[in-house]
Amino acid sequence: MDLAKPIEEYAAVQTWFDGLREQWGEEPSNKESKLGLLSDFCGLVEKDPDAIVAECSREVDGGKRIRIKARRIYTEKIDEFQNSIDAGRQVRGRAGNTIRSFMIHNGIFMQGGVQG
Amino acid sequence: MEFKEVVGRRRSIRFFEPDKPVEREKIQTILEAARLASCAVNAQWLRAIVVERDNLPEEKLNQLKTPVAALTLDLAPVHIYFFCDLGTVTRNKGGPLKELIDVGALAPSHGWSHKFVDDFVYPQILEPMTKNREGYLAAAVADCGGAAHQALLTAFDEGLGACLNTPNPMLTKQVLGAPDDWVSIWVMLLGYPAESWEAGGQRPRPPFEELYFEGDANTPFRRDPAVVERLKEAKMIQAPAPLPGRKEEIRKLIDRLGLPE
Repeated sequence: MDLAKPIEEYAAVQTWFDGLREQWGEEPSNKESKLGLLSDFCGLVEKDPDAIVAECSREVDGGKRIRIKARRIYTEKIDEFQNSIDAGRQVRGRAGNTIRSFMIHNGIFMQGGVQG
Repeated sequence: MEFKEVVGRRRSIRFFEPDKPVEREKIQTILEAARLASCAVNAQWLRAIVVERDNLPEEKLNQLKTPVAALTLDLAPVHIYFFCDLGTVTRNKGGPLKELIDVGALAPSHGWSHKFVDDFVYPQILEPMTKNREGYLAAAVADCGGAAHQALLTAFDEGLGACLNTPNPMLTKQVLGAPDDWVSIWVMLLGYPAESWEAGGQRPRPPFEELYFEGDANTPFRRDPAVVERLKEAKMIQAPAPLPGRKEEIRKLIDRLGLPE
Protein backbone atom coordinates (compact mmCIF):
# COMPACT_ATOMS: atom_id res chain seq x y z
CA MET A 1 0.00 0.00 0.00
CA ASP A 2 1.33 3.45 -0.95
CA LEU A 3 0.90 6.07 1.71
CA ALA A 4 -0.38 9.49 0.61
CA LYS A 5 2.57 11.26 2.23
CA PRO A 6 5.86 10.44 3.97
CA ILE A 7 5.05 8.30 6.99
CA GLU A 8 6.72 10.65 9.48
CA GLU A 9 4.25 13.39 8.50
CA TYR A 10 1.24 11.51 9.87
CA ALA A 11 -0.05 12.97 13.12
CA ALA A 12 -0.11 9.55 14.78
CA VAL A 13 3.57 9.04 13.99
CA GLN A 14 4.43 12.43 15.45
CA THR A 15 2.38 11.59 18.54
CA TRP A 16 4.31 8.31 18.84
CA PHE A 17 7.70 9.97 18.69
CA ASP A 18 6.58 12.76 21.03
CA GLY A 19 5.45 10.05 23.46
CA LEU A 20 8.81 8.29 23.24
CA ARG A 21 10.64 11.58 23.85
CA GLU A 22 8.43 12.35 26.85
CA GLN A 23 8.79 8.85 28.30
CA TRP A 24 12.51 8.41 27.87
CA GLY A 25 13.75 12.02 27.87
CA GLU A 26 15.74 11.55 24.69
CA GLU A 27 15.36 11.37 20.93
CA PRO A 28 13.83 8.03 19.85
CA SER A 29 16.46 5.52 18.78
CA ASN A 30 16.48 3.70 15.42
CA LYS A 31 13.89 6.02 13.91
CA GLU A 32 14.37 4.74 10.37
CA SER A 33 13.96 1.15 11.45
CA LYS A 34 10.83 2.03 13.45
CA LEU A 35 9.32 3.89 10.52
CA GLY A 36 10.17 1.07 8.15
CA LEU A 37 8.42 -1.49 10.34
CA LEU A 38 5.39 0.73 10.77
CA SER A 39 5.26 1.25 7.04
CA ASP A 40 5.36 -2.51 6.49
CA PHE A 41 2.57 -2.95 9.02
CA CYS A 42 0.50 -0.28 7.27
CA GLY A 43 0.99 -2.30 4.10
CA LEU A 44 -0.26 -5.46 5.81
CA VAL A 45 -3.44 -3.85 7.12
CA GLU A 46 -3.82 -1.48 4.16
CA LYS A 47 -4.34 1.54 6.38
CA ASP A 48 -2.25 4.62 7.07
CA PRO A 49 -1.04 5.33 10.64
CA ASP A 50 -3.73 7.90 11.40
CA ALA A 51 -6.47 5.58 10.14
CA ILE A 52 -5.20 2.72 12.33
CA VAL A 53 -5.37 4.86 15.46
CA ALA A 54 -8.72 6.38 14.47
CA GLU A 55 -10.17 2.93 13.96
CA CYS A 56 -9.22 1.89 17.49
CA SER A 57 -10.91 4.78 19.27
CA ARG A 58 -14.06 6.85 19.13
CA GLU A 59 -15.26 10.12 20.57
CA VAL A 60 -18.18 9.97 23.00
CA ASP A 61 -19.71 12.45 25.40
CA GLY A 62 -17.08 12.92 28.03
CA GLY A 63 -14.05 11.89 26.00
CA LYS A 64 -12.38 9.18 24.02
CA ARG A 65 -13.11 5.45 24.22
CA ILE A 66 -11.11 2.55 22.92
CA ARG A 67 -12.95 0.32 20.45
CA ILE A 68 -12.36 -3.08 21.99
CA LYS A 69 -13.14 -5.05 18.83
CA ALA A 70 -10.82 -2.96 16.66
CA ARG A 71 -8.06 -3.23 19.23
CA ARG A 72 -8.46 -7.00 19.31
CA ILE A 73 -8.24 -7.14 15.53
CA TYR A 74 -5.06 -5.04 15.54
CA THR A 75 -3.58 -7.10 18.37
CA GLU A 76 -4.01 -10.16 16.17
CA LYS A 77 -2.67 -8.29 13.13
CA ILE A 78 0.47 -7.33 15.08
CA ASP A 79 0.97 -10.99 16.05
CA GLU A 80 0.51 -11.94 12.40
CA PHE A 81 2.95 -9.21 11.34
CA GLN A 82 5.70 -10.30 13.71
CA ASN A 83 5.21 -13.97 12.86
CA SER A 84 5.57 -13.19 9.17
CA ILE A 85 9.10 -11.84 9.65
CA ASP A 86 11.76 -14.32 8.63
CA ALA A 87 14.06 -13.96 11.63
CA GLY A 88 14.63 -15.26 15.14
CA ARG A 89 12.11 -14.94 17.99
CA GLN A 90 13.75 -11.86 19.49
CA VAL A 91 13.88 -9.94 16.21
CA ARG A 92 10.27 -10.82 15.50
CA GLY A 93 9.29 -9.82 19.00
CA ARG A 94 11.05 -6.48 18.63
CA ALA A 95 9.23 -5.84 15.37
CA GLY A 96 5.87 -6.54 16.96
CA ASN A 97 6.76 -4.41 19.95
CA THR A 98 7.61 -1.50 17.65
CA ILE A 99 4.04 -1.51 16.39
CA ARG A 100 2.69 -2.00 19.94
CA SER A 101 4.75 1.01 21.02
CA PHE A 102 3.15 3.04 18.19
CA MET A 103 -0.31 2.05 19.42
CA ILE A 104 0.49 2.61 23.10
CA HIS A 105 1.87 6.11 22.64
CA ASN A 106 -1.27 6.93 20.67
CA GLY A 107 -3.34 6.00 23.71
CA ILE A 108 -4.40 2.54 22.57
CA PHE A 109 -3.66 0.42 25.64
CA MET A 110 -2.11 -2.84 24.55
CA GLN A 111 -0.02 -5.64 26.05
CA GLY A 112 1.79 -8.12 23.87
CA GLY A 113 3.21 -10.56 26.36
CA VAL A 114 6.81 -11.54 26.94
CA GLN A 115 8.69 -11.58 23.65
CA GLY A 116 12.20 -11.99 25.07
CA MET B 1 12.02 -7.60 58.52
CA GLU B 2 10.43 -5.21 61.00
CA PHE B 3 6.74 -4.48 60.44
CA LYS B 4 7.22 -0.80 59.57
CA GLU B 5 9.82 -1.68 56.97
CA VAL B 6 7.49 -4.23 55.40
CA VAL B 7 4.85 -1.51 55.06
CA GLY B 8 7.48 0.81 53.62
CA ARG B 9 8.83 -1.69 51.11
CA ARG B 10 5.49 -2.71 49.67
CA ARG B 11 5.05 -1.57 46.09
CA SER B 12 2.84 -2.90 43.33
CA ILE B 13 5.43 -5.01 41.54
CA ARG B 14 4.69 -5.41 37.83
CA PHE B 15 7.93 -6.92 36.55
CA PHE B 16 8.39 -10.48 37.81
CA GLU B 17 11.04 -13.10 37.12
CA PRO B 18 8.77 -15.25 34.97
CA ASP B 19 10.70 -18.49 35.42
CA LYS B 20 11.66 -18.29 39.08
CA PRO B 21 9.22 -20.41 41.06
CA VAL B 22 7.77 -19.37 44.40
CA GLU B 23 8.35 -21.80 47.26
CA ARG B 24 5.17 -23.53 48.40
CA GLU B 25 5.86 -22.68 52.07
CA LYS B 26 5.88 -18.98 51.19
CA ILE B 27 2.50 -19.31 49.52
CA GLN B 28 1.16 -21.07 52.59
CA THR B 29 2.60 -18.35 54.84
CA ILE B 30 0.76 -15.72 52.81
CA LEU B 31 -2.51 -17.63 53.15
CA GLU B 32 -1.93 -18.15 56.88
CA ALA B 33 -1.61 -14.36 57.24
CA ALA B 34 -4.91 -13.80 55.45
CA ARG B 35 -6.63 -16.29 57.74
CA LEU B 36 -5.52 -14.38 60.83
CA ALA B 37 -6.83 -11.00 59.66
CA SER B 38 -9.41 -9.06 61.61
CA CYS B 39 -12.91 -10.00 60.51
CA ALA B 40 -16.32 -8.55 61.34
CA VAL B 41 -18.55 -10.96 63.30
CA ASN B 42 -15.81 -13.57 62.72
CA ALA B 43 -17.61 -14.44 59.50
CA GLN B 44 -14.47 -15.34 57.49
CA TRP B 45 -15.68 -14.34 54.06
CA LEU B 46 -12.32 -14.59 52.33
CA ARG B 47 -11.59 -17.56 50.08
CA ALA B 48 -8.54 -17.99 47.87
CA ILE B 49 -7.60 -20.21 44.96
CA VAL B 50 -3.88 -20.51 44.28
CA VAL B 51 -2.97 -21.03 40.66
CA GLU B 52 0.50 -21.86 39.42
CA ARG B 53 0.64 -20.19 36.03
CA ASP B 54 2.53 -23.00 34.35
CA ASN B 55 0.09 -25.63 35.60
CA LEU B 56 -2.85 -23.80 34.05
CA PRO B 57 -3.77 -24.80 30.50
CA GLU B 58 -2.91 -21.97 28.12
CA GLU B 59 -6.53 -21.63 27.05
CA LYS B 60 -7.61 -21.04 30.66
CA LEU B 61 -4.74 -18.61 31.31
CA ASN B 62 -5.79 -16.61 28.26
CA GLN B 63 -9.39 -16.56 29.47
CA LEU B 64 -8.26 -15.07 32.79
CA LYS B 65 -6.35 -12.23 31.14
CA THR B 66 -7.80 -8.75 31.13
CA PRO B 67 -6.47 -6.04 28.80
CA VAL B 68 -4.75 -4.30 31.72
CA ALA B 69 -3.33 -7.38 33.43
CA ALA B 70 -2.46 -9.67 30.52
CA LEU B 71 1.27 -9.08 30.78
CA THR B 72 1.51 -9.35 34.55
CA LEU B 73 -0.41 -12.64 34.42
CA ASP B 74 2.20 -13.90 31.98
CA LEU B 75 5.07 -12.68 34.13
CA ALA B 76 3.92 -13.75 37.60
CA PRO B 77 4.45 -17.48 38.24
CA VAL B 78 1.78 -17.63 40.96
CA HIS B 79 -1.70 -16.10 40.98
CA ILE B 80 -3.85 -16.06 44.09
CA TYR B 81 -7.50 -15.43 43.26
CA PHE B 82 -9.40 -13.94 46.17
CA PHE B 83 -13.13 -14.40 46.53
CA CYS B 84 -15.77 -13.32 48.99
CA ASP B 85 -17.97 -16.23 50.11
CA LEU B 86 -21.32 -14.52 50.63
CA GLY B 87 -22.95 -17.73 51.81
CA THR B 88 -20.90 -18.08 54.96
CA VAL B 89 -23.16 -15.99 57.21
CA THR B 90 -26.38 -17.84 56.43
CA ARG B 91 -24.62 -21.20 56.60
CA ASN B 92 -23.09 -20.53 60.02
CA LYS B 93 -26.00 -18.59 61.58
CA GLY B 94 -23.91 -16.73 64.13
CA GLY B 95 -21.83 -19.78 65.12
CA PRO B 96 -18.44 -18.05 64.67
CA LEU B 97 -19.62 -15.21 66.94
CA LYS B 98 -20.55 -17.72 69.64
CA GLU B 99 -17.10 -19.27 69.25
CA LEU B 100 -15.66 -15.86 70.13
CA ILE B 101 -17.76 -15.88 73.29
CA ASP B 102 -16.63 -19.43 74.10
CA VAL B 103 -12.95 -18.53 73.85
CA GLY B 104 -13.33 -15.31 75.83
CA ALA B 105 -12.73 -12.88 72.99
CA LEU B 106 -16.25 -11.51 73.49
CA ALA B 107 -17.42 -11.33 77.09
CA PRO B 108 -20.53 -10.47 79.14
CA SER B 109 -18.58 -7.40 80.28
CA HIS B 110 -19.29 -6.01 76.81
CA GLY B 111 -22.84 -7.35 76.65
CA TRP B 112 -22.20 -10.57 74.75
CA SER B 113 -23.97 -13.89 75.34
CA HIS B 114 -25.02 -16.88 73.23
CA LYS B 115 -28.66 -15.85 73.76
CA PHE B 116 -27.94 -12.34 72.43
CA VAL B 117 -26.44 -13.87 69.27
CA ASP B 118 -29.26 -16.42 68.82
CA ASP B 119 -32.17 -14.09 69.60
CA PHE B 120 -30.91 -10.80 68.28
CA VAL B 121 -27.65 -10.62 66.33
CA TYR B 122 -28.30 -13.37 63.82
CA PRO B 123 -32.07 -13.07 63.21
CA GLN B 124 -32.27 -9.28 63.46
CA ILE B 125 -28.96 -8.07 62.07
CA LEU B 126 -26.94 -10.67 60.21
CA GLU B 127 -29.65 -12.51 58.32
CA PRO B 128 -31.46 -9.32 57.20
CA MET B 129 -28.08 -7.91 56.18
CA THR B 130 -27.61 -10.78 53.75
CA LYS B 131 -30.94 -9.95 52.09
CA ASN B 132 -29.73 -6.47 51.14
CA ARG B 133 -27.20 -7.64 48.60
CA GLU B 134 -25.70 -4.23 47.81
CA GLY B 135 -25.00 -3.32 51.42
CA TYR B 136 -23.96 -6.84 52.34
CA LEU B 137 -21.57 -7.09 49.44
CA ALA B 138 -19.92 -3.79 50.31
CA ALA B 139 -19.40 -4.82 53.94
CA ALA B 140 -18.18 -8.32 53.17
CA VAL B 141 -15.87 -7.29 50.37
CA ALA B 142 -14.35 -4.51 52.48
CA ASP B 143 -13.64 -7.12 55.13
CA CYS B 144 -12.00 -9.41 52.56
CA GLY B 145 -9.93 -6.46 51.38
CA GLY B 146 -8.34 -6.15 54.80
CA ALA B 147 -7.43 -9.84 54.83
CA ALA B 148 -6.06 -9.71 51.31
CA HIS B 149 -3.86 -6.76 52.25
CA GLN B 150 -2.53 -8.68 55.22
CA ALA B 151 -1.59 -11.42 52.74
CA LEU B 152 -0.06 -8.82 50.45
CA LEU B 153 2.22 -7.43 53.15
CA THR B 154 3.26 -10.95 54.07
CA ALA B 155 4.37 -11.56 50.49
CA PHE B 156 6.83 -8.68 50.84
CA ASP B 157 7.95 -9.91 54.24
CA GLU B 158 8.77 -13.22 52.52
CA GLY B 159 11.01 -11.39 50.05
CA LEU B 160 8.56 -11.66 47.17
CA GLY B 161 6.93 -9.05 44.98
CA ALA B 162 3.20 -8.81 44.44
CA CYS B 163 0.42 -6.66 43.12
CA LEU B 164 -3.35 -6.79 43.28
CA ASN B 165 -5.44 -6.72 40.12
CA THR B 166 -9.15 -6.92 39.44
CA PRO B 167 -9.95 -9.94 37.29
CA ASN B 168 -13.00 -10.45 35.12
CA PRO B 169 -15.39 -11.68 37.84
CA MET B 170 -17.58 -13.98 35.76
CA LEU B 171 -14.75 -15.58 33.81
CA THR B 172 -12.68 -16.08 36.95
CA LYS B 173 -15.51 -17.96 38.65
CA GLN B 174 -16.15 -20.03 35.56
CA VAL B 175 -12.52 -20.90 34.80
CA LEU B 176 -11.65 -21.75 38.40
CA GLY B 177 -14.92 -23.50 39.23
CA ALA B 178 -15.85 -21.23 42.13
CA PRO B 179 -19.21 -21.91 43.84
CA ASP B 180 -22.19 -19.65 43.13
CA ASP B 181 -21.95 -17.93 46.52
CA TRP B 182 -18.41 -16.71 45.84
CA VAL B 183 -17.81 -13.25 44.44
CA SER B 184 -14.51 -12.62 42.70
CA ILE B 185 -12.56 -9.74 44.25
CA TRP B 186 -8.90 -9.59 43.33
CA VAL B 187 -6.06 -11.61 42.00
CA MET B 188 -2.74 -11.22 43.79
CA LEU B 189 0.06 -11.75 41.31
CA LEU B 190 3.07 -13.15 43.03
CA GLY B 191 6.69 -13.86 42.24
CA TYR B 192 10.24 -12.72 42.66
CA PRO B 193 10.65 -9.18 41.39
CA ALA B 194 12.65 -8.71 38.21
CA GLU B 195 12.91 -5.06 39.16
CA SER B 196 14.87 -3.85 42.17
CA TRP B 197 12.96 -4.00 45.45
CA GLU B 198 12.73 -0.20 45.47
CA ALA B 199 10.82 -0.43 42.16
CA GLY B 200 11.47 3.22 41.52
CA GLY B 201 10.60 4.46 45.01
CA GLN B 202 7.50 4.94 47.12
CA ARG B 203 4.52 5.91 45.00
CA PRO B 204 3.03 9.41 45.03
CA ARG B 205 0.37 10.02 47.66
CA PRO B 206 -1.77 13.08 48.40
CA PRO B 207 -0.59 15.23 51.30
CA PHE B 208 -1.30 13.61 54.70
CA GLU B 209 -3.51 16.47 55.88
CA GLU B 210 -5.77 16.16 52.84
CA LEU B 211 -6.60 12.58 53.80
CA TYR B 212 -6.85 12.45 57.58
CA PHE B 213 -8.72 14.59 60.09
CA GLU B 214 -9.30 14.90 63.77
CA GLY B 215 -12.49 15.76 65.62
CA ASP B 216 -14.41 16.59 62.48
CA ALA B 217 -14.03 16.43 58.75
CA ASN B 218 -12.78 20.01 58.51
CA THR B 219 -9.79 19.76 60.82
CA PRO B 220 -6.74 18.12 59.27
CA PHE B 221 -4.84 15.74 61.52
CA ARG B 222 -1.65 17.62 62.34
CA ARG B 223 1.37 15.77 60.99
CA ASP B 224 4.27 15.86 63.43
CA PRO B 225 7.58 16.11 61.52
CA ALA B 226 9.37 14.30 64.37
CA VAL B 227 7.15 11.25 63.81
CA VAL B 228 7.87 11.43 60.11
CA GLU B 229 11.59 11.40 60.87
CA ARG B 230 11.20 8.37 63.12
CA LEU B 231 9.28 6.54 60.41
CA LYS B 232 12.01 7.36 57.93
CA GLU B 233 14.55 5.82 60.31
CA ALA B 234 12.33 2.75 60.61
CA LYS B 235 12.18 2.62 56.76
CA MET B 236 8.41 2.93 56.68
CA ILE B 237 8.61 6.25 54.89
CA GLN B 238 11.12 5.88 52.11
CA ALA B 239 12.44 7.93 49.22
CA PRO B 240 9.59 8.87 46.91
CA ALA B 241 9.39 7.88 43.26
CA PRO B 242 10.96 8.46 40.88
CA LEU B 243 14.33 7.34 42.16
CA PRO B 244 17.32 8.19 39.98
CA GLY B 245 17.91 5.54 37.35
CA ARG B 246 14.31 4.29 37.21
CA LYS B 247 13.96 4.91 33.48
CA GLU B 248 17.20 3.06 32.81
CA GLU B 249 15.95 0.19 34.95
CA ILE B 250 12.71 -0.01 32.99
CA ARG B 251 14.66 0.12 29.72
CA LYS B 252 16.77 -2.85 30.79
CA LEU B 253 13.67 -4.80 31.81
CA ILE B 254 12.03 -3.99 28.48
CA ASP B 255 15.09 -5.31 26.63
CA ARG B 256 15.47 -8.41 28.77
CA LEU B 257 11.83 -9.43 28.74
CA GLY B 258 11.05 -8.28 25.21
CA LEU B 259 8.41 -5.65 25.91
CA PRO B 260 7.35 -2.52 24.01
CA GLU B 261 9.13 0.76 24.83
